[in-house]
Amino acid sequence: MIIAKNIHKSFGDLEVLKGIDLHVKPQEVVVLVGVSGSGKSTLLRCFNFLEMINHGEIILDGKPVNIKKDNLNKIRAEVGMVFQHFNLFPHKTVLENIIEAPMMVKKKEKGAAIKHAKQLLEKVGLAEKADVYPSKLSGGQKQRVAIARSLAMEPKVMLFDEPTSALDPELVSEVLAVMKQLAQEGMTMVVVTHEMRFAKEVADRIIMLDQGRIIESADPKTFFENPSHDRTRQFIQLVE
Amino acid sequence: MPEIFGTLWEVFARTWSGFLDATVITLQLTGVGVVLGCVLGLFFALLKLSGSKPLQLIANFYITIIRGTPLIVQIVFLYFGITEFITLSNFWAGAIALGVHNGAYIAEIFRGAIQGIDKGQSEASSSLGMTKGQSMRRIIFPQALKRSIPPLGNQFIIALKDSSLVYVIGVAELFSLANREAAQSFQPFETYLVVGLYYLVLVMIFSYLLSLYERKLDVDK
Ligand SMILES: Nc1ncnc2c1ncn2[C@@H]1O[C@H](COP(=O)(O)OP(=O)(O)O)[C@@H](O)[C@H]1O
Ligand SMILES: [Mg+2]
Repeated sequence: MIIAKNIHKSFGDLEVLKGIDLHVKPQEVVVLVGVSGSGKSTLLRCFNFLEMINHGEIILDGKPVNIKKDNLNKIRAEVGMVFQHFNLFPHKTVLENIIEAPMMVKKKEKGAAIKHAKQLLEKVGLAEKADVYPSKLSGGQKQRVAIARSLAMEPKVMLFDEPTSALDPELVSEVLAVMKQLAQEGMTMVVVTHEMRFAKEVADRIIMLDQGRIIESADPKTFFENPSHDRTRQFIQLVE
Repeated sequence: MPEIFGTLWEVFARTWSGFLDATVITLQLTGVGVVLGCVLGLFFALLKLSGSKPLQLIANFYITIIRGTPLIVQIVFLYFGITEFITLSNFWAGAIALGVHNGAYIAEIFRGAIQGIDKGQSEASSSLGMTKGQSMRRIIFPQALKRSIPPLGNQFIIALKDSSLVYVIGVAELFSLANREAAQSFQPFETYLVVGLYYLVLVMIFSYLLSLYERKLDVDK
């Protein structure tokens, strides 16, 4: 679904990604871990071209992406992204947040967009909040709306960048539950998170990023019980 | 003391119908000025934010020239200075000068407001596949406009008061009429006090409407 080949990304003199090779298979759930500053967000943002890679290649759903020639908006529409700080549109109601992109980008007819949006709200357990403004929601509710908003575009992959890091602890589980359900339904997902329980339960593969390189890539059991790298062991101790 | 109020009242009673007509013209000048100012302001704000060096240069040139020269010079320039190329009525020369003048300030208001919107908003729109234009129109600008309203209101009040400078090209707005009245009646003290009162009342009415609107926006959110 996503194939990254030797991705390099620098900000000025600072090389943040130093040759990343990664193959995310359809329906796979990959959890990305690593200390702060290791390049997790940058890698995710390269996958939907919020950041442009300097070297290497990204192949999405079998098609190599040409940053200069391809219509990146169209590609982004197929890659959902959920942000740490939700980034809901504060001037729009929950329903309007969700139908905006399907109508503007996919030219979906309003009635159909609303119908789909309501199904998605049902799915994330917020059917009764359709006409509320985001400022009236808790963090956990906001993030669930943000997930529904992404899903409304029917993306092929969903990227999550620390979706629960900005939440009060008691609100984390409602968001993780929605993500877990998505995974069970077969959504391809790349998730940056520090929630190790989620990683253990849901991930097909856990990848450890360290200073812009992948140093560990293993199924959860191997990752936690028998990691190959000292840095991984240290990291596991740190977060557990 | 009471005599002052007596003569003030007398001047007010004698002039009110003329001043009412002049008030309409002042409001028309201000109206055209702020509408044109908003259009130009948005246009130049977008040029400044376009990321293109030449376009930014054009916007900076406009803003520097307009903010660096007195409005009264801009007014007479538009009316007397360019008659070789185009002849404008004094009303339109004045109104356009006001618009062009306010556009430079409003451009900075819009630019600041647009830049003040959290980057996450445009990232979220991009990640949903929206184009830059869609994201600006549907997501960024509506939020920026809301934040612009207090400084815009302030700028509108300045425009209302600045419209008095158009007296210099003989538009029959409030201040022109006051000058004429003061000279003819030999009552400059009372006349200028009265005309000052007209401006004050207009500003207070506008401020009040603005505060109502701002409160409504707060409630909406
Ligand atoms: N837009 C940017 N400009 C400059 N440096 C950046 C930018 N984005 C991220 N960085 C730097 O890149 C490094 C990796 O950041 P990031 O990908 O956010 O790490 P993580 O998500 O793993 O914490 C950090 O040192 C960060 O300061
Ligand atoms: Mg990060």
